[in-house]
Amino acid sequence: MENINITLKGRIDSSNAPAIEQEIMAKIEDSSGAPVVIDMTDLEYISSAGLRVLLKVKKSNPDLKITNVSSEVYEILDMTGFTEMMNVEKAYKTVSVEGCEVIGIGANGTVYRIDNDTVVKAYNNADALEDIQHEREVARLALVLGLPTAISYDVVKVGDSYASVFELLNARSFTKLIIAEPDRLDWIAGEFVKLLKQIHSTVVPEGKLPSMKEKALDAAEFMRDYMPQDKYEKLVSLVKAVPESDHMVHGDYHTKNVMLQGDEVLLIDMDTLATGNPIFELAYMYNAFQGYSEYDHEQIMRFQGYDFETGTKFWHKVLSLYLGTDSDEKIREVEDKARILGYIRMIRGSIKRGGLDDTKKKEEIDMWMNELFELLDKTDSLLFTIDEIEVEATVENLKEVQAFIDEHLEKVDCPVKASMQISLAAEEIFVNIANYAYAPDKGNATVRIEVTKEPAVIITFVDQGVPYDPLAKEDPDVSLPADARKIGGLGIFLTKKTMDDVVYEYKDGSNILRMKKII
Amino acid sequence: MLNINKNIEGNKALYQLEGRLDTVTSPDLENALKENIESLEELVLDFANLEYISSAGLRVLLAAHKIVSKNGQMKLTNVNSTIMEIFDVTGFSDILTIE
Repeated sequence: MENINITLKGRIDSSNAPAIEQEIMAKIEDSSGAPVVIDMTDLEYISSAGLRVLLKVKKSNPDLKITNVSSEVYEILDMTGFTEMMNVEKAYKTVSVEGCEVIGIGANGTVYRIDNDTVVKAYNNADALEDIQHEREVARLALVLGLPTAISYDVVKVGDSYASVFELLNARSFTKLIIAEPDRLDWIAGEFVKLLKQIHSTVVPEGKLPSMKEKALDAAEFMRDYMPQDKYEKLVSLVKAVPESDHMVHGDYHTKNVMLQGDEVLLIDMDTLATGNPIFELAYMYNAFQGYSEYDHEQIMRFQGYDFETGTKFWHKVLSLYLGTDSDEKIREVEDKARILGYIRMIRGSIKRGGLDDTKKKEEIDMWMNELFELLDKTDSLLFTIDEIEVEATVENLKEVQAFIDEHLEKVDCPVKASMQISLAAEEIFVNIANYAYAPDKGNATVRIEVTKEPAVIITFVDQGVPYDPLAKEDPDVSLPADARKIGGLGIFLTKKTMDDVVYEYKDGSNILRMKKII
Repeated sequence: MLNINKNIEGNKALYQLEGRLDTVTSPDLENALKENIESLEELVLDFANLEYISSAGLRVLLAAHKIVSKNGQMKLTNVNSTIMEIFDVTGFSDILTIE
């Protein structure tokens, strides 16, 4: 049904209100039931007589919408409670982005820098106000939950659509950093992963964000008509087996959406924020760094401005840091799980855009499909465990460290005795760090666990406290009678005695203690 | 987690321990012993359901042993083999009375 568009100009007061009322009512009666939209672009003033006209229109036409309201008129409508009674949209300042630097192009729009301190995100969709509102709400939620992000402080018109305005002081995206300072790739990857871990450790109150699992299930179910029945069933069961999670995922985490502002790392482009298992995030990240450019390696250059080789190197560094392992085997294992989810998303996207009717796109889809089939044959679960945790070094966190270690030991069926000895040694080392490394201040400790082929368990403790080699301490004399025994020094001694190897080094400002137990 | 089940009759006390005796739980045992340890002639610690002991637990045992030995005797019973090995390594099996 066509809208009934009405334009109001100048002033409405008791002198002209009756005439305007008649005019509007006549229009409405002509096309009964159609929604009424009143454009107030050129309205300067409205008195209570005018407000009464609006009330009458609202009564006969509950869907009444008022648009382009100037701030003066908006204030009147707001004060009188009209903004709550009816759908009132403010007039938006128009901003031109002609000739402005393009910072990023995303699925929903383009980000421009309009001056040193200001960027605008212009949406493609002409009816973007709802999207803008959504992004504002989720950005606010993320900020409240402690994530560093920018919240738009205004909405403006750009051409026929809308844009949200952000303050970003001399911020540079990580994409730009990678291009400008390739020798700092390790540092950039480190900061990129730190923020990613922060996102994934953020617990979201129930019902505030959509579930990633549901989106992934949709994508999996879309594949029904495009793959053999047995493979399709395996795919769906793999996705279904991923448990729901109340932890946050960003949903579009790549180097254009992370900014460096001064020495602060900021997360932007929040409209894809969701909750879910981190494997869903890794899937999207795989696509951004690898998947979309697998067929045509130039694709990443067009999107990010760095080449496929750089993207690959960065991605593997990120995975290694995120998973807390240098093992190529482990990295590949998790990457393969991510690829399954990544491929179905890309395949669905391409098919929906008509990719099957285009020779090159069809070739790309076939390539992804083949990879997907191979992966499905060798994958039994999409779940993975992270081999590293970082906690504040306090005795209270001992439980968390031991739970983390136990979880890994159970997975490899570690014998009870070895398991207890490892737990004991880990306690002695961690409690030492908690009590002495940073005292009287506080700091973090990182605990990493590896299971080697031997089979052996290797646990590494890293802290940035005062340099201290616990192994240098002399062993207590265990042959002394009780009265002569000192209370301290037993913990390290026990660690040395029960582990097969314990080494300490101080490197790059960190105490690193590594212990190995053959199981 | 550490559960302590106390049974005190005159100068004799039986403490049954269940769970883990580690950095976090050792202070609980220390506090539980404190009340009347000075006057005990016999202290029996039953380890039948104790799964784990760390150096923090060993320290509490050593301190208790020193105090009780002045007027009486401290005994450990039902020690499992994994914990026994820790007592062996640290020389505690020579100091403590273990049945």
